[in-house]
Amino acid sequence: MEDLSGEIARPPRPLTVSELVGGVRELLEEELGRVQVVGEVSNLFRAASGHSYFTLKDDRAQIKAALFRGSAARIPFDLEEGLEFVVHGEVTLYVQRGDLQIIVRRLEPVGQGALQLAFEQMRERLAAEGLFDATRKRGIPAFPRRVGVVTSPAGAAVRDVVRVSGDRFPATPLLVSPTRVQGDGAEDEIARALARLERIDDIDVILLVRGGGSLEDLWAFNTERVARAIHACPIPVVSGVGHETDVTIADLVADARAATPSAAAMLALPDGDAWRDQVEGLAGRLRRGLAGGLERGRQRLATARARLHAHAPAARLAVDRSRFDAAERALRRLAAAALADRSGRSVQLHARLARAAAGVVPPRRSRRDQLDDRLRRAGPLAVWLRRQRLSEAVARLDALSPLGVLSRGYAIARGPDGRVLHRAQELAPGDSVRVRLSEGEFEAEVTGTVPAPTGGPDRSRR
Amino acid sequence: MGTPGGAPADQLSFEGALERLEAIVDRLEDGELGLEAALAAFEEGVALSRRLAGELDTAERRIEILVQTGEGTGAEPFDPPDEPDD
Repeated sequence: MEDLSGEIARPPRPLTVSELVGGVRELLEEELGRVQVVGEVSNLFRAASGHSYFTLKDDRAQIKAALFRGSAARIPFDLEEGLEFVVHGEVTLYVQRGDLQIIVRRLEPVGQGALQLAFEQMRERLAAEGLFDATRKRGIPAFPRRVGVVTSPAGAAVRDVVRVSGDRFPATPLLVSPTRVQGDGAEDEIARALARLERIDDIDVILLVRGGGSLEDLWAFNTERVARAIHACPIPVVSGVGHETDVTIADLVADARAATPSAAAMLALPDGDAWRDQVEGLAGRLRRGLAGGLERGRQRLATARARLHAHAPAARLAVDRSRFDAAERALRRLAAAALADRSGRSVQLHARLARAAAGVVPPRRSRRDQLDDRLRRAGPLAVWLRRQRLSEAVARLDALSPLGVLSRGYAIARGPDGRVLHRAQELAPGDSVRVRLSEGEFEAEVTGTVPAPTGGPDRSRR
Repeated sequence: MGTPGGAPADQLSFEGALERLEAIVDRLEDGELGLEAALAAFEEGVALSRRLAGELDTAERRIEILVQTGEGTGAEPFDPPDEPDD
């Protein structure tokens, strides 16, 4: 049997430092395993390698911690000094320095969600860069030629935009640039979908829209990639992401922000109802403006005539006036003749009068004949005179009528713009004119003009 | 006020046609135009207001979506599906 007393009695040989430290490390790893620790971050150092080293502490103790690049990539936020976190990791001993440290696998902020912290950090960083500055926001054009829509082609947002824009101003075309709006890599797709619209010439405004969802669902719109894509976009962007209460980084960078996709469409498209009222108002003013202009023209003509009467040579005036008076008298007589014959058969009466004047007596016994008899008794001479004056008046009226002029061989010529022509110099060779004869019209092309001789009276009337 | 008789009504943008109509109405209301010019302005104004009203009342819509084709990116007519996917 071995002599154990010697072993028990003899003190164990001293451990080497490596053995001690290594032993402690093994003990820690086996006995402690994974821990969750809550503490405040301080002494943060980010190495170029991507690993972060910091101290996790409370008011009485502290422990070193390391967050390696691989684990860091899985969290949306950055480590921040002064903030409290719940850390998940393994406690170990870094033997070369004898340092107790916790290798962080996972961590969450205390008092707010991980995504919320990430959002706050991103917001501060981009605000400091000036991406949200009001001064760099562009105005939304009043009448965009075409509206681009970056959104999911299958979601509720695009349906809302199509519906609302149709209610508001259906004539404006829409062009959808489709993209995924959540999930891994969605932020890259959104940025590319924006870029595709930038190349299209007639797109004057872009809607970046997505329906409601959790902070995780909306996360792509809080990423730096999307924020910078909006910032770099040369076309004004209106964002409408999520529900009323959701605010994303995209909303802050965009040129205009709407609470929902429908509100974004309202912002971007002109108000068709209001413009319709405006156009109708203008059309009314147009009509009244013309009527006013015509009335002023009439007044100016009357004034000019009055002045002409005051200053023109008396002889010429007399001729004008007599023609005017003659026409007026003829019209009055015709009116009187028509009025005198209440039954409206003045033509027949005229015929009967003519016959009566010639001495022919129609052998009939109707009321018409009684009237004839009465007229005959009034005296054939009186009747004949009356008839004569009537036909004279009609003839004179006819002579003054422009159409009567035509029957004497004159023609009315109208120029290419439809106006009656007075001066040959208004025309150029090649112009087409339309000429009205006593019967019918013809079209002609001007081959040459001869101006009026100078020094003669200007017979043109305006 | 621009050159008299600019682009024809159908070549102007909606905004351009609106501005031209406003300019014409202003000129007519000023009362400085002769009769011929007033009539011509009125005619143009009527054409413009008809074109604007036509566009405001149109029922036709043009909604397209970008698609990847063999030669790159093109646009196709797009009709959003009725049932939302998300």
